[in-house]
Amino acid sequence: MNSPARASVSPLPSPAVARDTVERVASHLSRAVQGKDAEVRLAVTCVVAGGHLLLEDVPGVGKTTLVEAIARAFALSSARIQFTADLMPADILGAQVFHAQSATFTFRQGPLFRQLVLADELNRAPPRTQSALLEAMAQGQVSLDGATWHLPRPFTVVATQNPVDFSGTYPLPDSQLDRFLMRLSLGHPAPEVEARLLTTREASTPVETMEAVSSPEELSALRTLVAAQRMDDAVAEYVVRLAQATRSHGDIERGASTRAVLALGMAARAHALWEARDFVTPGDVRAVLGPSLAHRLLLRSANPGAYSRDEAIHLLEEISRKVPAPR
Amino acid sequence: MKRHRLRLMLRDASIGAAFASMAVSGQIAIWAVGLFLLALVLALLGRRPFARSPRLTALLLVPLGGALYLSVAAGQMDLVVAACSFAAFVAGQRMLSLPGPGTDGQVLLAGLLMIAGGAALSGELLFAVFLVGFAVLASLALGMTVVEAAVPEGEQLPVRAVVRPLAMGLVFAVAGAVAFFIFFPRLNWNMGARRASPGLGTATSGFSDTVRLGGTGTLKSNPRVVLRARLSPDPGNEHLGAYWVGRTYDTFDGQEWTTIGNPSGRRGTRVTLRPGAESLVHQRIELLPAYGSRTLIALETPARLGNAVAHTPAGSRRTSLQELGGDELRFMVQALGYTYEVYSVPPGTNTVPGKLQPLERDQLLALPDALDPRVEQLARRVAGNEKEPLAAANKLVSFLQREYAYTLELGGEMEDPVANFLFERREGHCEHFATALTLMLRSLGFQARLATGFFGGERVADEYIVRAGDAHAWTHVLVPGTGFVTVDATPPAFRTSQSQPWLESLVTLYEAIEARWRTSVVDYTFRDQLNFVRGMVRPPKQRGAEEQRTRLPPARAWAMALVVGAVVYAAWSFLSRRGARTPVHQATRFVDAVERQLARAGIRPLEGETLEDVSARLAREAHPLAPTLAPLTRRYLEARFGQRPLLSGESARLLQELERGLAAWKSSQPPIARAS
Repeated sequence: MNSPARASVSPLPSPAVARDTVERVASHLSRAVQGKDAEVRLAVTCVVAGGHLLLEDVPGVGKTTLVEAIARAFALSSARIQFTADLMPADILGAQVFHAQSATFTFRQGPLFRQLVLADELNRAPPRTQSALLEAMAQGQVSLDGATWHLPRPFTVVATQNPVDFSGTYPLPDSQLDRFLMRLSLGHPAPEVEARLLTTREASTPVETMEAVSSPEELSALRTLVAAQRMDDAVAEYVVRLAQATRSHGDIERGASTRAVLALGMAARAHALWEARDFVTPGDVRAVLGPSLAHRLLLRSANPGAYSRDEAIHLLEEISRKVPAPR
Repeated sequence: MKRHRLRLMLRDASIGAAFASMAVSGQIAIWAVGLFLLALVLALLGRRPFARSPRLTALLLVPLGGALYLSVAAGQMDLVVAACSFAAFVAGQRMLSLPGPGTDGQVLLAGLLMIAGGAALSGELLFAVFLVGFAVLASLALGMTVVEAAVPEGEQLPVRAVVRPLAMGLVFAVAGAVAFFIFFPRLNWNMGARRASPGLGTATSGFSDTVRLGGTGTLKSNPRVVLRARLSPDPGNEHLGAYWVGRTYDTFDGQEWTTIGNPSGRRGTRVTLRPGAESLVHQRIELLPAYGSRTLIALETPARLGNAVAHTPAGSRRTSLQELGGDELRFMVQALGYTYEVYSVPPGTNTVPGKLQPLERDQLLALPDALDPRVEQLARRVAGNEKEPLAAANKLVSFLQREYAYTLELGGEMEDPVANFLFERREGHCEHFATALTLMLRSLGFQARLATGFFGGERVADEYIVRAGDAHAWTHVLVPGTGFVTVDATPPAFRTSQSQPWLESLVTLYEAIEARWRTSVVDYTFRDQLNFVRGMVRPPKQRGAEEQRTRLPPARAWAMALVVGAVVYAAWSFLSRRGARTPVHQATRFVDAVERQLARAGIRPLEGETLEDVSARLAREAHPLAPTLAPLTRRYLEARFGQRPLLSGESARLLQELERGLAAWKSSQPPIARAS
């Protein structure tokens, strides 16, 4: 469908230009999701790295707003899919439709054929639907009845799930969690931010009024730039040592996989854009360590939900303190 | 807790066996035995009073060690015994401490030390029994330790299933070790040294207590070294070619030489045989285990002997000497080796033997009853009417050396070995020559006797060594007014050891290494240290030989230079390879310098923080130094991870900027803030 050649045509921005772009997008998003600068920056990092984002939060803290703002900021075509218990794979991927006049089947695209897809409450859908989405995320294409359709580029899925209310849900298997580059949680905004929301929200809905500050082409160029970021041997070794530390940690049942190591490297590459660098530093790795790895670890204590998440992030912070960074 | 019990009992019992292997020597002080037994009993009962403070109670070892030291210093205890006792105390202290892997290791190590001590102290059969006991018990304890570590906490330990196969294996191992010990050929030179002592019996040459002609087989020339001597004044030549006398014989019964002479039986730590002369040769002699006899050996003619020390397996101690007939001196105790000092009258000096007893004097002319009359006829034919004993002896010597051949083959048992040698076989070894000469002299009416000992002396380092194969027999003829004079009928070429030259040189090499080891390690004393320091301070004595050297350095120097070069090259390549593996990045040195500066200014990183983190933290806190630090940090990161190395001089410039920034920041700080 959408040829990726279009993205590669646009010239690669310099690190400084890239930094300006991500800063512009982030400040734009911060107007929509107020008081969450760090999370917003990480979300932008994730999108720029070309990864999919898992937002885990209680309802009503701005997950959807954030996703819509991202779509608007980059001028991406977007769709929101509300995952429910009766959602079928065809509902998101699309289906072959019989045309009586021409007596042929034509493919009717599902809502997945957008550049930014919000999979709301992913864990409410049956596993079959979940895995259909996640396969499409991994491959960047949809295969049905022997035919393959490419998803539009740049393609990003932002999924949300509610970590508290697990009734009637199908929790995502670990192998599927692994496909998300980062997991973030916005959390409740600070009281003064909430107060400000009360006073200003009435006047205007910022998301609807937002205009694009970037373009899909620019996003594709940024992703190419990120993939070309230089990673020194010492930093690569550091990433591996961090992963190994998770594997040998006493409180961690299953440490980071090789895919996790690659994801951590990718996220760190994207993070280097914030400093207008074309190389990765250990600081970049540490900055994205928690969001990139926390959801991939299986802890021995195995508390469900938010507790587990906090504990995993806590352990990763400890590891990042203990594993000496290259000097 | 219960499952520990059996293992610890096994461990402690093995330590008890190790201690017993030492104690059977009977040399451990009674108080040491008592203390150890107390500790052992407590440990076996499961009482561990030192468990609470194992380190503090280890201080108890200090006074015990002091007591042992005092015993050694007072001469009451041998150093080896003291070391063994201390090992026992260490083991006891550790046994009474809390059991743990480290403690187990220390206890078993102390047990091994005690076994080694037991080997040094006694090495007897009981020792072997306890050695086996220690091996079995300690192996069982170790096996239990391994199993215990493998079984999860709280589960039953399969003691029986483990111990039974382990014990079976141990039985086989012990049986195999015993078989190996019995059947495998001994490779060590000094193992069983006393049994293989040379010179006893007819099959080897060496010094023996009697001289008996006859016998069958071949005399093997034994290259083993029996004697080491340091002479002063040092003659300095490579081959001494001297007679080392052991004893003399005066009575020959046709087959065997014995001594009738009156044994004085005197004993003493110092013996004077005859008055000294003006220039005595001092010898410091060491008899090695291969010697195998208790008779003192000295350069002809010994005058004073003394300062004898016997080296036994249990240590060295002084021994006194006993005078026997035939000028023989014996050590009072049986030992592996001996050292002593001798003053000898140099050859050619007047050595009148003093007043001989009538019996002794008569015996110097006695001939065996059944002596072949042809012996006297031959003597008269050769010596003619010579009246001078020495001249007659010399005539006989040259005749014997000319007409008779030397052989190491023994002639076999016969009725009259002397007649057989002189008239039929016409070949023999030194004892034949010496006996024939002595009897011929006596038949002519000259007083003579047989002397045995060693002939020779090879220089090794600055000592002379004598081999078992250098054993020799010769003749003393009594010259009135001069004393006994040595005459030797054996052809000169056959007086010393007849063993293979390459074997001798091999043994000599070994001896040289061993002697070097002894002088520079074992016997290295305070005096040697002083001499070394003196040699460093004062220039070495000029030797005459050094004056006539060529301009080129000697081959040894070339070889040394080659070796040194090879070593240097190997070290350099090793270091350079190591250096390539872990290079210290230029940027790393830079960041070290930056962090040192920051630390001096009081800005220290938190745990795990790098310069990057510190810089980011300061920026977040809007610290006044953040603008100074940010570009510097960025430059470091670029140089370290971004492949944009620091330019020459850049690091110094950046550090100077930082220094200025830090100074400005410090001066702007109010004093109170700086103090906080």
